[in-house]
Amino acid sequence: MFSGILAELEKNLKSLPGIGPKTAQRLAIFLISMEKDKSLQIADSITEAVNSYHNCSECNILTAENPCKFCTAPERDNKALCIVETTQDVYLIENTHEFQGKYFVLTKLLSPLDGIGPNDIHFSKLIQKVKNENIQEIVLALNPSAEGETTIVFLATNLKDLVPSITRLSTGIPFGGDIEYSSTPTLINALKRRYTVKE
Amino acid sequence: MRIIELNLENYRNNLNLSINFQPEGALLFGPNGIGKTNLLEAISYIAFGKSILGLRDNELINFSETFFRITASVEIKSQIFHIEAAADKTKKVIKIEKNLISKTSILYNYLKVIYFSPLDIEIIQGSPGKRRQFLDSSISQLKLEYLEILQRFYRILKQRNSLLKDKTNLSSKESWDKKYIEISSIIIKYRIIFLKEFAQFVKEKYHLISQRKENIEIKYRYSFPLLSDLDYFENLTNTIDKNAKYEIKSERSMYGPHLDDLEIKINDHDIRKFGSQGQKRSLSIALKLAQSQMMRENNECHPILIFDDVFADLDEDRTTQIINLLENKHQIFIATPNISQYNQINLPRIDVERFINSE
Ligand SMILES: [Zn+2]
Repeated sequence: MFSGILAELEKNLKSLPGIGPKTAQRLAIFLISMEKDKSLQIADSITEAVNSYHNCSECNILTAENPCKFCTAPERDNKALCIVETTQDVYLIENTHEFQGKYFVLTKLLSPLDGIGPNDIHFSKLIQKVKNENIQEIVLALNPSAEGETTIVFLATNLKDLVPSITRLSTGIPFGGDIEYSSTPTLINALKRRYTVKE
Repeated sequence: MRIIELNLENYRNNLNLSINFQPEGALLFGPNGIGKTNLLEAISYIAFGKSILGLRDNELINFSETFFRITASVEIKSQIFHIEAAADKTKKVIKIEKNLISKTSILYNYLKVIYFSPLDIEIIQGSPGKRRQFLDSSISQLKLEYLEILQRFYRILKQRNSLLKDKTNLSSKESWDKKYIEISSIIIKYRIIFLKEFAQFVKEKYHLISQRKENIEIKYRYSFPLLSDLDYFENLTNTIDKNAKYEIKSERSMYGPHLDDLEIKINDHDIRKFGSQGQKRSLSIALKLAQSQMMRENNECHPILIFDDVFADLDEDRTTQIINLLENKHQIFIATPNISQYNQINLPRIDVERFINSE
């Protein structure tokens, strides 16, 4: 059992995804026993990245520039908007090369259990963007969880009068609770076979 | 479908044992408390991946050990499978043919077991939740996807209840309502289809057991009145719209599959209130026999039948008659403290007390 500063470090490492108690202990020991310069370099690069990255004022993606490189790219179709939950999702979709428009990151999905409602998914910002930029096509690329599916219904209902085409990814199965679009082939398939959200 | 061999390590008070079963099954006898139920529970663990008696995995570990393991060879449609289930105090591991399975429900594709317990009477006289649970687990055994649908339903229900309670995000209520109504309608569809066939089987099985011509009727009871010219989806939509204020005030979902019930009538009277203990016992056996029949019709398999001392109230002739109808089709396990009731039954006998002590 660690105590004091080391316990604090262990606790902080444990809060990272995929890091369990044992790994956290091992990493903590590793960090204090390695060459000081090297471990401080890790600390510095964390500080630097965290300080310089923030949500893009246009689309919420995590970026070091503002607006982000997607929002400012002249070659991207600015009438098509792909709505995702996280910045990571943007990169997953980029890997498929199936979408050439712009993005909007909700940062969360509707979830009353976590106190998350329309305000927390940047809904008014999205509406403004859709109106200001005269968006013609929306692709809802959200995971088919209960929360994702409900968010899809919410967005489709509230955007249908503003946007002529609203599509969603196909799931292939009726209740894909466990499906996550994390592998590129699955995602390509889901994007290729996307369909209009029935309202 | 049958179990050929069962090995237990550190399981409950049985500690360690290895046992080979005949294709027809076994009659396990011995005084109460000797471990007959534990043995039957272990067999059903291989089918359900959990204790049929509702115990947690760590409660199945022998008190002086840190893990338990059950291994079994089973024959399913002329193919032999090796299934292994083990758990320590923190996690469970299930393997089929040495391959780890990712979720317990994959097991349901293999061994099918129907477990008759004296506690089954609770399905009849217990709370509506007991009947819903029986109904839902019966459907899940036939239609694997139903389990996922149920899980999705309960997730949405939890979210919707939280929304109704918290009230800060009511602007998203319409969307949650929509998903809630959609998934509720799917649940109802499965339940109604199941019940149509099932109710008929229950009637037949009950007559077989009771040998009286009492009329048994099972009806689905909705948690709100339905208009017959509309489908369930439309009915639930209207009811939820009309009672929006009431639901918000109540802070939870007041209409839906989680509040429905089964109405069981014997000669037009509610069996819960008016049935005798004997009628309830017979009917609880009939429910399980009907479950088995549903599996035969839908999956073309004969599940293993486990009777944990459920015939105590029936006389020898009746018991013999029921078992004879099932023999040669199903592998049957019967546990009883009273072997004389089974004089006319040909199953191989296992003296559980002697068996456990000899190991
Ligand atoms: Zn941006």
